Amino acid sequence: MLAVIAKDPAALDVSFAGVDEVVRVSVEQEEFEGDVALAAVEALIAARRPRATLLGFTVNSMGYGPALALRLGQGFASDVHAVALEGDTLVATRSFHGGKVHAELEFAGPAVLLLRPTTWPPAEGAGSPTFADVTAPSVASRARHVAFQEVAQADVDITTADFLLSIGRGVGERENIEQFEELAAKMGAVLSVSRPLVDAGWMSNARQVGQSGKTVKPKVYLALGISGAVQHLAGMKAAGTIVAVNTDPEAAIFGVADYGAVADLFDVAEELDKLF
Amino acid sequence: MSETRQTFENLALWQIVFWYCLIAISTSVFVWGVIRLVRKYRQGRSTTRLDHIGRRLLRTTRLVFTHAWIRRRDTTTGLGHAFVFYGFLVLFIGTAILGFQDDFAGPVLGVHFFRDWFYLGYSLFLDVFGVALIVGLVVLAVKRGILRPFRLDYWRPDRKEGEYDRRPWVIDDWAFLGVIFFLALTGFLLEGFRIAETNPSFETWSPLGWGLAQGFRAIGVQGQTAESAHFVLWWVHGVVALSFVATIPYTKALHMLSSPANVAVRDDRAGKRLPTLPADVKSDDVGYARITDLTWNHLVSLDACTKCGKCHAACPATATGYPLSPRDLILDLRDVAADADAMQERRSILGDPIRPETLWSCMQCMACVEICPVGIEHVPIINQMRRALVERGEMDTLLQSTFEMIHTSGNSFGEPKRKRARWAKELDFELKDVRKEPAELLWFVGDYASFDPRNQRATRALARVLDHVGADFGILWDAEKTGGCDVRLAGEEGLWASLAEENIRTISGCDFERIFSSDPHTFHTLRNEYPDLGGSWTVLHHSQLLLELIEAGTLVPAKPLGYRVTYHDPCTLGRYNGVYDAPRQLLAAVGCELVEMPRNRDNSFCCGAGGGRIWMKELKAEGAKRPSELRIDEAVSLGGIDYFVCACPKDVTMYEDAIKTSGHQGEIELRELSELVLESLDLPPLAAVGGPSENEEEAA
Amino acid sequence: MKIVVCIKQVAALGDEVEFSDDGLDVDPDYLELALNEWDGYATEEALRICEQAGGEGDEVVVVSAGGEEVDAALRRCLAMGADRGVRVELAGRADPFTVARALAPVVAREQPDLVFAGVQSSDAVQAATGIALAELLGLPGVAVVNKLDWDAAARRARVHRELEGGLVDVVDVETPALLTIQTGINEPRYATLRAIKQAEQKEIVVEAAAGDGEPAYRVRRMFVPPKGEGAEMLAGDPAQVAARIAELVKERLA
Repeated sequence: MLAVIAKDPAALDVSFAGVDEVVRVSVEQEEFEGDVALAAVEALIAARRPRATLLGFTVNSMGYGPALALRLGQGFASDVHAVALEGDTLVATRSFHGGKVHAELEFAGPAVLLLRPTTWPPAEGAGSPTFADVTAPSVASRARHVAFQEVAQADVDITTADFLLSIGRGVGERENIEQFEELAAKMGAVLSVSRPLVDAGWMSNARQVGQSGKTVKPKVYLALGISGAVQHLAGMKAAGTIVAVNTDPEAAIFGVADYGAVADLFDVAEELDKLF
Repeated sequence: MSETRQTFENLALWQIVFWYCLIAISTSVFVWGVIRLVRKYRQGRSTTRLDHIGRRLLRTTRLVFTHAWIRRRDTTTGLGHAFVFYGFLVLFIGTAILGFQDDFAGPVLGVHFFRDWFYLGYSLFLDVFGVALIVGLVVLAVKRGILRPFRLDYWRPDRKEGEYDRRPWVIDDWAFLGVIFFLALTGFLLEGFRIAETNPSFETWSPLGWGLAQGFRAIGVQGQTAESAHFVLWWVHGVVALSFVATIPYTKALHMLSSPANVAVRDDRAGKRLPTLPADVKSDDVGYARITDLTWNHLVSLDACTKCGKCHAACPATATGYPLSPRDLILDLRDVAADADAMQERRSILGDPIRPETLWSCMQCMACVEICPVGIEHVPIINQMRRALVERGEMDTLLQSTFEMIHTSGNSFGEPKRKRARWAKELDFELKDVRKEPAELLWFVGDYASFDPRNQRATRALARVLDHVGADFGILWDAEKTGGCDVRLAGEEGLWASLAEENIRTISGCDFERIFSSDPHTFHTLRNEYPDLGGSWTVLHHSQLLLELIEAGTLVPAKPLGYRVTYHDPCTLGRYNGVYDAPRQLLAAVGCELVEMPRNRDNSFCCGAGGGRIWMKELKAEGAKRPSELRIDEAVSLGGIDYFVCACPKDVTMYEDAIKTSGHQGEIELRELSELVLESLDLPPLAAVGGPSENEEEAA
Repeated sequence: MKIVVCIKQVAALGDEVEFSDDGLDVDPDYLELALNEWDGYATEEALRICEQAGGEGDEVVVVSAGGEEVDAALRRCLAMGADRGVRVELAGRADPFTVARALAPVVAREQPDLVFAGVQSSDAVQAATGIALAELLGLPGVAVVNKLDWDAAARRARVHRELEGGLVDVVDVETPALLTIQTGINEPRYATLRAIKQAEQKEIVVEAAAGDGEPAYRVRRMFVPPKGEGAEMLAGDPAQVAARIAELVKERLA
């Protein structure tokens, strides 16, 4: 069962193959507000009593998912990358410690699960679901949406590049970025970065690859000095060919890369510079 | 007639009185100037520098009279200055003798010694030293004006062209030289005129004066003419001399007093044993943030600087174009201290005039402190200012995260503790755990020697050597934390103290006789600084230990290596601890031919990693070479060197890198001392467990 | 003005791991403890808000749940400038709901103007404890805040929610409220070891955990994931690696 919560839920076409039922929940607010979403899903769960409520592990869901589960006395887990029903037991798998260990979590009763985006392919095709409507209670939000703010228009759009040269914490200091800008230009790549360089104020968010940045699908993604935090991987693992260079042999990025090298990014960059 | 001369011969009584009034005025101005200075110094923090005052004064006297520190690395200037010094001193004493005769011995004691053989000897002596004075001044003027060595160039690396004006200094320098020269010259002319007046024959005992007098007489200047000329010139000379004396506290001439004073209150362990912080110190009082935070002796040292520039010439940061010159640091601080308002309002020195990047450029290598002829302590001053910056959280992000990493993991690599002794896994014998079993030697390995792959090879080599000779040694395994030397030098005093306390606790629980380390930084802090926190043991550097074993006949090289090598003195082993010979004797004992680089021993040129710089971002100017690259150039230019030999893990890291980046790869290779000693033992290579690189090395 | 900051001491795992006897947790010997990165930003933000408000009686209180080892993280925040700390004694594995229940009575009693938590912890990445706590306290909760404007007079907070793709949602929040703070919102100040030592004089009150309830989940099994195919590792020195990379690039871009 797929639920759509919106001011005008009918406007969104979600009749994908495999969807049995589409439930439309109308709310007064145009844009997402935590209290509104919470009340709407609460009403939905009260009406339909699902075994599991699945949300995406997104900023919006983080805003109300845990509260929802706690309020209803249900189980909760986030960043889940595998779900299964084994007999009566709901089992969800998530990772801890930067992906170095996985854990299987079990839920005897109903649970709210936030699923890691891009773990499953997007839904497609056309199904023939039935439609239903559920009324959500009117809610006056305590946290009201005021406006959206676009990030300042940047001079670069990394989502259209065929070849991205991406740098991360491994570059060490702001002064070192220049050599990679030059290398990228030489190699015919667009320079992109992981979150730490944006947090430090060295690069604009327009170049950030990751959940809170851009999701990219270039033909080639060359990651230098990026360890592979979950949110970063989500933004680039769909790339055609991923090559990663990192001094840490256990870096998570090697898990999604096609080719890897345990080496110093500056040494490799220097050598690449000679070849282009 | 008796051989003598009458002072004030030509003067009327009122003129003599007037003269003594001038003396009184000039002396008062001088004394007032000195009082102001003393008041300024007293605004600084207190510290103990007047202990063993007798010994201090004796040593100062010796250093001043032998010019031991002034002569170093520049004998010509040393000689020139010695001439000026002794010339000036003798003439000064000469005048004092005269004053003593005229104002005390004569009128009060009725003794007149200033005649006959005394007078003749006195005259000769003073003439000779007067000439020496002039010769010395000429030598120094030629140095300054014509030869212009780098150290006398007032260019500064931390400001752009046009941002600073050195003309006041240049004027001060030449004025000083000029005034003394003028006094010496007029002194001789006066002598000439005086003698020319009546030409007494005994005055040949003043050779130059006599010569001048004959010259004057030859052109008709004698008798009354000479007397008038003498009179005028005497007053000119007198007024200039008195003005000179009065202005001593305000000009370069001050160094005549402040430099010996600074030498007297110098701490011989300056920089080698930094001061600890009292536990209850307020945040605002940590380090030097204001001009009045400087200890009184550091304020004195600001005035002791003669702008000789030896520190400027020795500093590796200056040589690489980092925004630091130790000379300019001291002189900038001097300018602040000279400003009475600044002292009054306890003005801040951080940021302006001393920029943070200037302080962070320092490698704390002690080249400046080592060579300063007047004993200024640049390194401790910089360290104190760093403490103030760290206290305010103003530092490199890289440095900050390194501190945080060291605090969390106990090492600067961010590696888990259990990996600390991982280097030992490839050995074919068990390393003793000195926490559990007694051992004669406790080996404190150190961060770089433990975690850095290149250095691990040297560490394993040392382990194998010691195992082979049956030495009884053990390590602390994962209880060892970083020694903290560079943490302290970088200004995080609290973190150093915390690391030291933990290490002391761990070590104190062990049963051993002596400690050794292959890391000079660790060796240094354990030996010199840990005692302040209660950890006092005999600490050796591995070069000393290995030499001891060779001299005892325990370690016997199987074959002389026959390599042509050059040796780089690590800063913390050499300048900080005076260990220069042990590594050299060790190299000789394994049959290596040592070729010295131009800058060796106490003049060794820092690799650039010290003082925590290895954890900070590079500051070198665009296109400039790194200090380590400059050093490799120096080694390669010796010609035909097989190996660049290191005795410090950070040196190994820096120089392996520099060999590549300086473009000399293939022309020279690097070996650590232990690796050469191991090679000389000609042991079979390690079993398959060892990395191929080690076996390659041994087969080579 | 009083702000309560909820912090966590996280455990970092190296490249080796062993599990506890029951196989449901990592052996603590293999973990290194440190203050959660997000909580450093949260503490810094709280200190800044109070410094800007500049009134008398401003207080930043840090709270956490766990055993004695958590005190080190609390001291770090106290050394940065927080005024006092409270630790709720909690042994064993903690899931977001258990922690939220342990902290709720302590936070409620403080009657803060604002409550901060980090968006997520670096070891568990649940991003749940903060919002769960908001629910228990009956406060509005806004997650992933990367900018906060506090209007002291109107007692209103206008925050920026950092959405995916760099989009920002501007939200007005009624206070008191709980905000989970994102990295990059400020630059956390450095706490010198000396300040950390002196912070030992600031008080940390230890309380027993009250509140019962079901944990968010039960761990059935913990394991090291199979490496799978993983990446094809390129061997050789940097020059060889670079050559191979150059080949691949030319190949795959064609």
